[in-house]
Amino acid sequence: MKSDPSWRLVAPDALVSRSWDDELVLYNDVTGDTHHLSVLGRAVMTMLASHPSGIALAALVRGIADDAGTSADDELVEVVERTLAHLAELRLATPVSA
Amino acid sequence: MIVAELAAAELRRRLTGPGLRLRLGPVAAEIRSPFDVVASGLALLYAKHEVLGAADFADFRVAVEPPFGVRRFVAPQALFKFDGSTRFRPLPAAQAFPLLEWGLNWCITMHCHQYLIIHSAVLERHGRALLLPAPPGSGKSTLCAALVARGWRLLSDELALVELDGTRVVPIPRPISLKNRSIDTIARFWPDAAIGDVVPDTLKGSVAHVRPPADSVRRALEFAVPAWVVLPHYEDGAAMELAALPKCDAFMRLVDSAFNYSVHGRAGFEALAALVDASDCYAFTYGGALDEAVGAFDRFASS
Repeated sequence: MKSDPSWRLVAPDALVSRSWDDELVLYNDVTGDTHHLSVLGRAVMTMLASHPSGIALAALVRGIADDAGTSADDELVEVVERTLAHLAELRLATPVSA
Repeated sequence: MIVAELAAAELRRRLTGPGLRLRLGPVAAEIRSPFDVVASGLALLYAKHEVLGAADFADFRVAVEPPFGVRRFVAPQALFKFDGSTRFRPLPAAQAFPLLEWGLNWCITMHCHQYLIIHSAVLERHGRALLLPAPPGSGKSTLCAALVARGWRLLSDELALVELDGTRVVPIPRPISLKNRSIDTIARFWPDAAIGDVVPDTLKGSVAHVRPPADSVRRALEFAVPAWVVLPHYEDGAAMELAALPKCDAFMRLVDSAFNYSVHGRAGFEALAALVDASDCYAFTYGGALDEAVGAFDRFASS
């Protein structure tokens, strides 16, 4: 891990969601978009929602690994980073400015 | 009074004069038209619908009329009018009745925003609603007609009106629209069906409409509780398959099928979520064996 930026939800109060079978659908009042997120997307969103002021990437990965009963290895870091980038494209998550 | 109780001359007088006012589930329409094919189509396909009086409120005032000018006489055309304004491009006069049906669909989808409106057939058994959301060509209407033929109550062939708390589906029973090969298929499967004239060469191919059963029309105020969402897919010769569909996938398909989801924003999301919460969701592939298909639906309806 080259750096350890923190991430948060863009507009948590604007989101309404429903989860079935560990996946998530959510509606964003700000954009008017509806999204379908995978198991990992749901896990990342859940973790971000429980840290409104932001959570460091390392802690985020550790939390997800703990919940899934797996290890926070480089592979998991990579997929979480990809997921965060995707959530940023959807305007759901954003890096926290220093 | 129902349409079947109107004398043919009186039906035509209303259509060419003050308008024929019909109760269509939760809405009422006032219809005017000089076309014989509209009068005969209404007489056959809306025979069991309630006729409203001149003092009753009409949500939609529509007309299917010829244009002015030479088109009244040469290659005659039909226009759909809503509140006196022309909507859509003119169609050949022979397509006047399908034009009325498509126009009424437009009126409902553009104006009934007290509901979340999904492009879906809806049927009912034991108070529980079965939604068949699907794009054209999926076999939705064929399957819908087959289920109605075997005793399912028709709520709608085309438009699921879902209350915004997502807990009830509101009936709007109107004729079932069949296209191309499905017309003969249903005529064979349901010999007693009242099927209107086959209208060839429309934008959708040949179309014909099936009259909804009297029981479905009479019970138009009996709502149904969402119970099943089934995505039908017709594939010529395919073996029948009913497979569980993940609810998130079903939800996103319903979003894609909802005409006015974006109008409702968060409320639309909540309505669809409640609907999916309450429903078992499936993908259904069938290849034309309608008795076998209906049997599959009867089995899960009785479980």
